[in-house]
Amino acid sequence: MKGRVTAFLATAALLACGLSPVASPQNPAPAQKSATVTRTTAQQSKEGERRFQANCGRCHNAPEAISPREVKAVLQHMRVRAMLSAEDEQLILKFLAP
Amino acid sequence: MSFSKNVFGTLLLFLCSASALFGQSDTPILSGTVQFLGTSNAGANFYQPVIVPILAVPLGDHFFIESRAEIQGFIARDNGTTGPYSGQFIATFDYAQLDYIANSHLTISVGRFLTPFNIYNERYNAPWIKNLPDAAIIFPIGTRTSGSSDGAMVRGVAVARKKFEVNYTAYFSALTNVENLGSGRAAGGRVGIFFPEKGFEIGTSYQRFLQNGELNASGAYLVWQPPRIPLDIRSEFAHSPNGQGYWLESAYRFAKDRRNISGIGRLQAVARIQQYFNGTPQAGDSLPLADTNRFDFGLNYYLPHDVRLNGSYGRQFSSLGNANIWEYGITYRFLFPAWPGGSR
Ligand code: HEC
Repeated sequence: MKGRVTAFLATAALLACGLSPVASPQNPAPAQKSATVTRTTAQQSKEGERRFQANCGRCHNAPEAISPREVKAVLQHMRVRAMLSAEDEQLILKFLAP
Repeated sequence: MSFSKNVFGTLLLFLCSASALFGQSDTPILSGTVQFLGTSNAGANFYQPVIVPILAVPLGDHFFIESRAEIQGFIARDNGTTGPYSGQFIATFDYAQLDYIANSHLTISVGRFLTPFNIYNERYNAPWIKNLPDAAIIFPIGTRTSGSSDGAMVRGVAVARKKFEVNYTAYFSALTNVENLGSGRAAGGRVGIFFPEKGFEIGTSYQRFLQNGELNASGAYLVWQPPRIPLDIRSEFAHSPNGQGYWLESAYRFAKDRRNISGIGRLQAVARIQQYFNGTPQAGDSLPLADTNRFDFGLNYYLPHDVRLNGSYGRQFSSLGNANIWEYGITYRFLFPAWPGGSR
């Protein structure tokens, strides 16, 4: 059994390394130019807040604070558990870690 | 125990090396709960200190590793209501899984995961989340043998519209008798439909237990959070040849809305009713041996910094004896980056 578990973990590791595309840098939002960019970001953050309110208190007390370094892991965890969409994840991420 | 240490060690090692391959922002988290619970059940007092650590590791945008262990103490008098107190500790792995998040419609998980029957096991069975400390009587239906499955699972949102979302899970599990990692041979799934604007979800589950003579378990659930009232209504029904029953829980926060928490707004009142009807009992089904009704009432107070105090009273009615159950406890949920230092 122990061998099987180790073998499983090793295979999982290989799969993880082999299949995944290179991690994309987060929020590559160009910090340049035009008011449109700023407005979109503000709107997104508002929409992020709305989705946070709608989703994050459904199963448990909505967390009071999540530090920027923890946000990605928490949201991926919740994405799998709560079946959030990729869009929800991105918008809530922008709201929690602008 | 040494076996689980080995698995956990291997997992940690794997996580460290794998994480190094991925982005800087993929900081793993160490989260979980520390809880101390005191119970007086039909005159017998016992104490349960619990530590539930969770390790979650993002590996880029598509892979994710999550695991949860549970170290639970049980301290009671040797003869129930008399004799000296002595204690024992048990450690179990609730899950240790690798998720491949293909897109919003599909996540594939392999390893050990929480058996997705109805919703209690996946959504509310964490010490800091459950509104009342005791799991529902029907909890073992559809989650035999250990609440965890060793195998593979697919899950996701099949259809997403503005007004409704259809979510699903399907899995199979192999029989594992290894200590701390037990699971039954089974296959099953759950389908739910969620109406975001109404805060309402309804769904159904099925499990085919492929050992001990093959059994079918089925269930249904509903969740309602009226958008303008800080009220949580949750209910499950489950049926198996061993027995069937339901629970209905309602929890009210004394606040104007969910986000407004000050003073009395940190207080929550909870009530739950349960009815269980005995079927054909079977060894290892973990269900009561007679029809059982139970009523619980509890108060939870949410202090700042993720600390919660709880107190509850329950009364159980059964032909095997009625009982009063008093429970009180303190729960702390922690969360921090699993590696020190470094900016995002
Ligand atoms: C479908 C129910 C559900 C929803 C919706 C949900 N959570 Fe969770 N959340 C859970 C459960 C269950 C756990 C406990 C995980 C465990 O013990 O295995 C949890 C744990 C957490 C934790 C503790 C750290 C961790 O990863 O375990 C944080 C923080 C959190 N959730 C934040 C959020 C945020 C932010 C949202 C909104 C995006 C959210 N949750 C939506 C069910 C949910």
